[in-house]
Amino acid sequence: METVVTNLQGVPINHYILFCSIIFAIGVIGVLIRRNVIVIMMSVELMLNSVNLLLAAFSAYKGDASGQVFVFFVMALAAAEVAVGLAIIVMVYRNTRSVDINALSRLKW
Amino acid sequence: MSAIITLSLLAVLLLYLGLFKAKKALLPVSLLGLLAAIVLYSIQWDTDAEPLYSGMVLFDHFAVAFSILSLFITGLVFLLSRDYFDSISEHVAEYYALIIFSLTGALLVVSFHNLAMLFIGIEIMSVALYILVGIRKRDFSSNEAALKYFLMGAFSTGFLLFGITLIYGATGSFDLTEIKNYLIANPHSISPLFYSGILLLIIGLSFKVGAAPFHFWTPDVYEGAPILITTFMSTVVKTAAFAGFLRLFLTCFVPLQDFWAPVLLVITVLTLFIGNISALAQQSFKRMLAYSSISHAGYMLFGILSIGAASAGAIFVYSAAYSIASVVAFAVLILVKRSRGSEHFEAFNGLAAKNPYLAFTLSVAMLSLAGIPLTAGFVGKFMMFSGVLANYHIVLLLLAVLNAAMGIYYYFRVIVAMYFRPADREEVTVNANYKAVLFIGALLTIAIGIFPSLLAGWL
Amino acid sequence: MTDLIWIVPLLPFIGFLINGIGRNILGKPLIGIIGSGVVFVSFLLSCCLFSHVYDARQAGGDGAFTVPIFEWISAGKLSVGLSFMLDPLSSIMLLIVTGIGFLIHVYSIGYMSHDPGFGKFFSYLNLFIFFMLLLVLGSNYIVMFIGWEGVGLCSYLLIGFWYKNEAYAGAAKKAFVMNRIGDLGFLIAVFLIFTTFGSFEFSSIFPQAAGRVSGDGTLLLITLLLFVAATGKSAQIPLFTWLPDAMAGPTPVSALIHAATMVTAGIYMIARSNILFTLAPVTLQIVAGIGIATALLAAAIALTQNDIKKVLAYSTVSQLGYMFLGLGVGAFTGAFFHVLTHAFFKALLFLGAGSVIHAMSDEQDMRSMGGLKKKLPITYITMLIGTIAISGIPPLSGFFSKDEILAHAFVQNKVLWVLGFIGALFTAFYMFRMLFLTFFGEFRGSKEQAHHLHESPGSMTFPLIVLAILAAFGGLLNIPAALGGGEWLAHYLEPVFAASTAKTGEFHLEHGTEYALMAASGIAAIIMAIWAYGTYVSKKTVPVADGAERSLLSRLSYHKFYIDEIYDALIVRPLNKLSVFLYKVIDRAGIDGLVNGLGRTAEESGKGIRLLQSGNVGFYIFMMVVGVIALLVYGLIKI
Repeated sequence: METVVTNLQGVPINHYILFCSIIFAIGVIGVLIRRNVIVIMMSVELMLNSVNLLLAAFSAYKGDASGQVFVFFVMALAAAEVAVGLAIIVMVYRNTRSVDINALSRLKW
Repeated sequence: MSAIITLSLLAVLLLYLGLFKAKKALLPVSLLGLLAAIVLYSIQWDTDAEPLYSGMVLFDHFAVAFSILSLFITGLVFLLSRDYFDSISEHVAEYYALIIFSLTGALLVVSFHNLAMLFIGIEIMSVALYILVGIRKRDFSSNEAALKYFLMGAFSTGFLLFGITLIYGATGSFDLTEIKNYLIANPHSISPLFYSGILLLIIGLSFKVGAAPFHFWTPDVYEGAPILITTFMSTVVKTAAFAGFLRLFLTCFVPLQDFWAPVLLVITVLTLFIGNISALAQQSFKRMLAYSSISHAGYMLFGILSIGAASAGAIFVYSAAYSIASVVAFAVLILVKRSRGSEHFEAFNGLAAKNPYLAFTLSVAMLSLAGIPLTAGFVGKFMMFSGVLANYHIVLLLLAVLNAAMGIYYYFRVIVAMYFRPADREEVTVNANYKAVLFIGALLTIAIGIFPSLLAGWL
Repeated sequence: MTDLIWIVPLLPFIGFLINGIGRNILGKPLIGIIGSGVVFVSFLLSCCLFSHVYDARQAGGDGAFTVPIFEWISAGKLSVGLSFMLDPLSSIMLLIVTGIGFLIHVYSIGYMSHDPGFGKFFSYLNLFIFFMLLLVLGSNYIVMFIGWEGVGLCSYLLIGFWYKNEAYAGAAKKAFVMNRIGDLGFLIAVFLIFTTFGSFEFSSIFPQAAGRVSGDGTLLLITLLLFVAATGKSAQIPLFTWLPDAMAGPTPVSALIHAATMVTAGIYMIARSNILFTLAPVTLQIVAGIGIATALLAAAIALTQNDIKKVLAYSTVSQLGYMFLGLGVGAFTGAFFHVLTHAFFKALLFLGAGSVIHAMSDEQDMRSMGGLKKKLPITYITMLIGTIAISGIPPLSGFFSKDEILAHAFVQNKVLWVLGFIGALFTAFYMFRMLFLTFFGEFRGSKEQAHHLHESPGSMTFPLIVLAILAAFGGLLNIPAALGGGEWLAHYLEPVFAASTAKTGEFHLEHGTEYALMAASGIAAIIMAIWAYGTYVSKKTVPVADGAERSLLSRLSYHKFYIDEIYDALIVRPLNKLSVFLYKVIDRAGIDGLVNGLGRTAEESGKGIRLLQSGNVGFYIFMMVVGVIALLVYGLIKI
């Protein structure tokens, strides 16, 4: 464990921040430009995982375990969210035969 | 904490009841459970509040007051659920269980003392809601609402989490006290991470409370969801989200007010105008209520904007007034929709002639939402506005009052329809539970309007 | 005694509850008795309270009592109590509201007897009295505001009482919107007062205000906002057009709410806050200017109206303008005196008009009336008294009150006096025109109407007679010193306006000048009355239909005296044109257009903004990201 922490600390923290921000931004852009609901969900997962990585990095730098515990919470909840999300997508697919978000614009104004 | 545990167990119990086909027992058991939770909270009122479970939660007066409010409103929603859930789905037990789960999340949100609990609370609350919104599986608009809510909710969760992470990166802790101490210890060398964290938290929380420009999900989801779920979302969930928002900012971020206040100011003004102006043009009562809930979020943001000792009380009274009036409004909407099959303003035409009491209670609710004196809504607005004025935001007050005037226009449309528009219609049948809820709602609205100290003294 | 003050507003409220809940169960007679009974008991109590204050004044005290009922909101330094204030000003208003309110309730028993909404009507009327009493009795701006909002609500409900008619519902909405614009001013003013003085209580605000210098900026802002509120409630330029439309309501409502009580709330409020206004001379000038402009404009419009209620409505707007003129020139007592006498004679005139309309089977157009004085003798005599009173012909009440306002205006600014005098001429003319068209000459209605003509029942004529007596002798309350009177009202109200009087000094006018002014206005009013007689009785002129040019006058020229034609060309025709112009352009197109335009802009922008809600998730997310980027950019700049 000790060696892992030292290895992690070998990279400057700013690099982690930058790297995770970029992944997060890629996730955001994915949500923004993709039309397929499944891909959008994957992009959201990407956002959450960039956060997880950043949490782990901070945790290692601060020498504080709570950040890593938080990662587990995030994972658990992300899993729950995906389960519910997929169920919703399946339900929508059954009714519309499509997973394109543009098909969803009946509720408006 | 025992109340939260009770509720979690209650939800599981409800699922079992559903499994054993004991449909009749669902409502009484849920209400008993809520009552037990309220009692458990009330007992805690006088004890000295210390953070529990390594500082995860804190049941101070703030938390207890908002929890009791949430429990009470949920109780009203349950009372309305008789005949309602049965008519739209065969899995009635899941409804009750999911609402209780969501409520548990809400209770965590109002009593968190650690950002982890805030996150978990919000997620428990939301995930249950994603399912509830889409629970009418064959209904296209319900599907659409669920998917929209889910996609945008998950997206906004990302921002919330990123914000929490950045705050953690700056302070090294998720604990509210630690974060506050960090700010006090380094007043001049606060990490840029911390500032970004605040902004991202504002984004995440604004989404949950439905503030512009993160409000876009609100009208569509409120319209698409079953009416009772909309009721629950626009009352309990909104109240809890605001309580969480306020708790976070009140405990931690007050010293940085100069930094975040301008952001919130813009958000508040945008929210008010978008909510009110869009509501003006609506033809559907339900959608009008959705936009009105956006505008009410704007008013409640004033409480956070003019943060101080009085904000908690103001938001508490405001959300109580707003929630009670909304429950009444949605209850009448359910009845009207059942008899006329429409949610439009026209469906209310001539209601006063056939159902004078129904029309009267709805009028009271509308007057309260519009903030007419002698109703609870006025007291709420009054406390909110005087808080704003105390901080000398005269222009802001002007805008708020202007918006309040706009609000009156669309709230009165339904009163006009009920009283001043003739229509041939049948009398709407109202069962005992609805009568009880409408009576309690109207009574409380007027009682709080006349004796605000009933509530204002709590916080 | 004063401890029982809370019963006064409570009784009408109980009446509202009983009539509201039991409107389909209780019979009409019982509803009528309950409805008027509660107001009558309130009136008796008000009399006791009045005598209490009166005794206190006789004993040399200021006669002001504050009675706290309970603590309403208490949060931090914010504390608002529901408490009542009884002083000379509110004690008289109490009598007006409950007394005239009672008479009009009695009248309504007869007037509304055939209406299916009888119970609803009485419950609304009782509710109105309740809110009006709150407005009058409140000892702080919050209670006053509650009453202020409440009466607006009741007025809205009552204007739209016959809602099956679309136009009536529209009138109700218009009244509500215009009132709301005023209320905005009130609300903001109240908050400003709170930040400035740290209290809502009159008893704490006014002494503090008295310590400020004249021309204080904050006071200017507060008083301007309060005045905006008053223009809405009391139908002044630019928010006056709702009042004529409000005539859509049943006539007793027009008499009670839109003539005697609610519309004078603005004057009451300013008189109550007189010290704030005295210290804001700019506002006072604006008040006077708006007041006289409204008085003239409305009087000019009234000259050509053919609907009997519309004439009275514009006349009310015009008289309210006089009251504001009085406030503006510092004649607080005079303005309030005019509130009092106006309540008598205008309630009388409206009720008389109601009696006429009732007899004519709901016909309101004066062109179809005529010659009614034989058929409706009591109505005729009482309305004659009312007309003389409002025209300012001595010795009836209107003469004294209007004269006092004009005398003050004369001292302050001769131009105001001249304009006020012209307005008074108009008043006398259009009022007698109305009277002559209605009661003199031949009957011009249909045969059916002629057959149906009858004097109204006792429950309707009784209030007329009482009000006629009041309208005739009400002026005795404040006979000016120049006529050897004791100025009883002025002395009675002295403590209310004491602080203002201390700032402005005593009002002083030579007796000789005062006689001249009185004589001028009295004689001029009589001349106008005679002129109206000449036109509408001797020459039997009947106004032509709206569309046609007024060439009828020339066709009747075989009656001519040469001088008539000169008058006609120089005065009558331009005046008629002006009147029609003002009505069509300013009233209908200008102000209504502006207010409706504002509403439409809001609604149109609503239609525009809601298109943002495109229903497309991609777009929503895009907007969210735009928001996120905006926030992050802000963060970058700020850090």
